[in-house]
Amino acid sequence: MRLIVAAVILTLASLSAGQQEDPEARLLISKNVLNNFLVEGKDLTVEYKIFNVGGGPALDVHLKDSSFPAADFDVVRGNLDVTWERIGPGANVTHAVILQPTKYGYFNFTSAEVSYHSKEDKKEQRFGYTSAPGEGGIVNRKEFDRRFSPHVLDWLVFAVMTLPSLGIPCLLWYSSSRRFAVPPKKHN
Amino acid sequence: MAVTKKTKLSREEELLLQDFSRNVSTKSSALFYGNALIVSAIPIWLFWRIHQMDLWQSAFLFVIFSLVSTYLVAYAYKNVKFVLKHYIAQKREEGITKEMMSKLSEDKEMTKKEKDERVLWKKNEVADYEATTFSIFYNNALYLVLLIVFSFYILKNMNPSVYPFTVYQLLNSIITNSQSWTISAQK
Repeated sequence: MRLIVAAVILTLASLSAGQQEDPEARLLISKNVLNNFLVEGKDLTVEYKIFNVGGGPALDVHLKDSSFPAADFDVVRGNLDVTWERIGPGANVTHAVILQPTKYGYFNFTSAEVSYHSKEDKKEQRFGYTSAPGEGGIVNRKEFDRRFSPHVLDWLVFAVMTLPSLGIPCLLWYSSSRRFAVPPKKHN
Repeated sequence: MAVTKKTKLSREEELLLQDFSRNVSTKSSALFYGNALIVSAIPIWLFWRIHQMDLWQSAFLFVIFSLVSTYLVAYAYKNVKFVLKHYIAQKREEGITKEMMSKLSEDKEMTKKEKDERVLWKKNEVADYEATTFSIFYNNALYLVLLIVFSFYILKNMNPSVYPFTVYQLLNSIITNSQSWTISAQK
């Protein structure tokens, strides 16, 4: 009996909750740096993912990332200020920007700002922030090249430079030794 | 008077002594120093391009230690050449005698002594030439191999700002010399 009563109450509660649910947009936004190594003067990819977990569409979604100062980063591809007219309920959007750090050292990657209208009537504007990737170390370009660059061209040039100092004396010696070398005597 | 007679050497004796001494001619010495300078300067490229050392900041060290290395490598050339010359002279004796005899056989007027002298002279020339070229080749190869092994394997974790490249450049030269000393000691 008690079980039946509890089931009825739960059903009613869920029904009333369903009726109260407004078709309102709710955005969850993540910001991630995709690179394993952050290197001075090399491309760095930042990815933003926007999920609409609400019941209604989000309108005039405006993403603005002012956490990359122009003195520290150059934008290679993409925009740090983007707008989407509409993100439907249950939909998600991905946006990526490619930057190049101009200085090395530690940099705190903070969150970007998002604003949107959560209802169709566009009366109320909502503001939010993306997740923050946190502090990351940007490696010195010289140090990175010293450790990871294969230096194929540099090694080739080195080979070309060493070739005469090894090849010429070797060839001169070889030609002379061939001229005067006595073939080994055959023992019967 | 007797003393002066003893110390005075004939021209032939002087030539003979020169052939067996460690001293090298000016031409040969210039060749050695030129080669040593080239092979000592080549590593600067590696330090600059691959170890990412600043060319201007380290210019003083580069110049000083390249010059020190040049002197030591040239010294190694001389040592190896001295050891090799006699060894090559012995090995080439038969071949040179054969070639010279076939050349001089047409000349009926030449005495046997003169022919022998010509053979000896040629032998000395060939041995000198081969010893010089082989010594340059051997020391250059050893120097470059040691340089790569030291700078890229043994001392690779050293901090570039206090890069002791000078130490291993010096070390290379010392090892090159010690190698030639060991060879001469073995002989």
